Amino acid sequence: MPEVKPLYLPLPAKIEDIIIENSQVKTFVLSFTDREYGRLFTFEPGQFMMLSVLHHGEAPISIASSPAQSGTLRLSVRRAGKLTTALLELEKGAVVGLRGPYGKAFAMREFAHKDLLFVAGGIGLAPLRSVIESCLTERERYGEITILFGSRTPSDLAFRQDIDNWRRQPGVRCMLTVDQGEPGWQENIGLVTTLFDEARISPAHTALVCGPPLMIRAVLAELSRRGLRDENIITTMERHMKCGVGVCRHCHLDDKLVCVDGPVFNLAQLRDMEVMELS
Amino acid sequence: MNDDKLLLKKDYLTAFLRQLNKDYRLIVPQKNRHGDTLFSPAVDIDSLRLDLANQPQNSIKQFMLPQREVLFTYESGSGGDYRFHAAGSPDEPTIYFGVRPCDLSALLYMDVIFLHDAADPHYLQKREHSVIIGLNCKQPFEKCFCNATGNGPFLEFGADLQFTDLGDCFLVEPGRAKGEEIIRKWPQFFSPAADEDINRQYQSFLEAKDGFSRLVHVDQAVKRLRDGEVAEAVWQDLSLRCQDCGGCAYVCPTCTCFTISDYPLNDSEGERVRTWDACTFAGFTALAGGHNPVNHKQAAIRQRFMHKLKFDVEKHGRPSCVGCGRCVDICFGGTDIVRFINKACEGI
Ligand SMILES: Cc1cc2nc3c(=O)[nH]c(=O)nc-3n(C[C@H](O)[C@H](O)[C@H](O)COP(=O)(O)OP(=O)(O)OC[C@H]3O[C@@H](n4cnc5c(N)ncnc54)[C@H](O)[C@@H]3O)c2cc1C
Ligand code: SF4
Ligand code: FES
Repeated sequence: MPEVKPLYLPLPAKIEDIIIENSQVKTFVLSFTDREYGRLFTFEPGQFMMLSVLHHGEAPISIASSPAQSGTLRLSVRRAGKLTTALLELEKGAVVGLRGPYGKAFAMREFAHKDLLFVAGGIGLAPLRSVIESCLTERERYGEITILFGSRTPSDLAFRQDIDNWRRQPGVRCMLTVDQGEPGWQENIGLVTTLFDEARISPAHTALVCGPPLMIRAVLAELSRRGLRDENIITTMERHMKCGVGVCRHCHLDDKLVCVDGPVFNLAQLRDMEVMELS
Repeated sequence: MNDDKLLLKKDYLTAFLRQLNKDYRLIVPQKNRHGDTLFSPAVDIDSLRLDLANQPQNSIKQFMLPQREVLFTYESGSGGDYRFHAAGSPDEPTIYFGVRPCDLSALLYMDVIFLHDAADPHYLQKREHSVIIGLNCKQPFEKCFCNATGNGPFLEFGADLQFTDLGDCFLVEPGRAKGEEIIRKWPQFFSPAADEDINRQYQSFLEAKDGFSRLVHVDQAVKRLRDGEVAEAVWQDLSLRCQDCGGCAYVCPTCTCFTISDYPLNDSEGERVRTWDACTFAGFTALAGGHNPVNHKQAAIRQRFMHKLKFDVEKHGRPSCVGCGRCVDICFGGTDIVRFINKACEGI
């Protein structure tokens, strides 16, 4: 019989800090109350945690920090329903439950020496932030980094601190766009794909895409059209999740289970399946 | 000589069960006062209403993966603390008696899902404490098609002890160590089987094999699904007829989808509970904000049959329908697996 791990057991983690990203999104800096566990805890960019909030069950949330940032874990959460609303009301010092990490990560090794293109919409930047921050800790391993980030409106723009920081890094370009402008907005207005020309996207790029389904569909199609190979167009799939470990089957995607076979998939894999986001 | 094969006289069965019940919790098919046959715990052997003549309406899934199971209790202390405590089930050795080949195969399938694909401690705890006494089917029931799913009507592996009804006695074949232990513990009930008894078992198998009243083309459906030859209209028709009741998933011995939810007991304490779920429910895949990646009207039943007849064939080498026929009885929308298979095979 296989070794038994406490499969569904959440461990307490304390909210060390909260960054208010916009009216709907907060970033929580968390540390396991069991320091020793926290010190040994490892994950890879693209993986997610199952987050428990008192009386509200669990929700899958991507890890937004880099594994190099040991001791703490960042989760950026958008108000979507019951659990996320309750979470957004918690204050510094409050305790949540965490179990994980789960899911297939981005294949960081394959990104070495490649020019990387990150395309994100809204909260979709969270999992990509983990990759970007990892790349920045070993900057010389990677080629040019281009970040295209779309929001609904300028006031919805989350991750401002990060964007400011990234814009100061050598070899990093970060371009912003919004669906609807507001007075004083100096940057692009339009779908994130309207940034593609200026971003000088080439078939040599490896693209990491994360955002709402409609955005994903448009971006994947446009990247394909611009000659990127399907294997080099990588995205994450969102599905309802309950167990996170490949048993409850809530996250089914054709013959795959997103929690264990994903959430990271490349376009070649997605084309082999029946995927709502592509049809 | 057949060293390891034994006979148990039917006259001894009650005494045998009484012995078992002393050392184990005993789950057997019993007729309840409504006349339904259900796997249920034997309380007192003398008032036992053992029913080996009918198919139990439930399967032993109900005990391995209970319909409602508390996984944890949780509490939040005054210091903002928030902790979970595992709520294990009692470690009570349990014998499941009269488990037919379909339900036995389903159990082996659950082992793969809960022990191999993931190491589920809640399942493992119950499974480790289980002893399975199987019963081959000498007369298939009207809705059965385990011959077509390839796991019946007789099964030669998987049980701790396997029983075959030979009329006045049972042929008893030890399968696993836990079964041998029972024989060692209570040898007085058993006598060695003769070659003639093995012949009788074989005769019984041949009769059972020919006793199926329906022909279900499982292989054909598997092949058509593999080759992408099942028309979109088949999925849509059946999905529209599905009444979203989840009955098929609940009675199915291999449907193991579940959900996990919190049930507060008071402001600071509660239970985290696992309950049965069904992929045919509209809410099964719904995301926050109402978005649903599955178009329920067109594909409510798609995952259920694709999973059983295509994905599991690819992954585990055989379909995960074990042909027990229970969903055929329960489905009033007419979207059970046999109807799906028939529709998928139309025009062949
Ligand atoms: C791999 C993955 C990573 C994610 N990463 C993030 C992230 O970094 N930040 C973020 O804000 N959101 C993320 N999400 C989405 C987040 O999980 C949902 O917004 C959240 O579960 C909504 O829960 P709720 O109780 O607030 O919503 P409600 O609408 O009240 O409840 C939704 C119900 O569906 C269940 N559910 C399970 N999985 C999901 C799901 N994926 N989406 C919606 N409901 C779900 C909930 O447990 C609950 O029972 C991610 C989702 C996945 C699958
Ligand atoms: S799908 Fe129907 S016939 Fe097949 S195992 Fe499940 S309940 Fe039995
Ligand atoms: S979340 Fe349970 S199988 Fe993926």
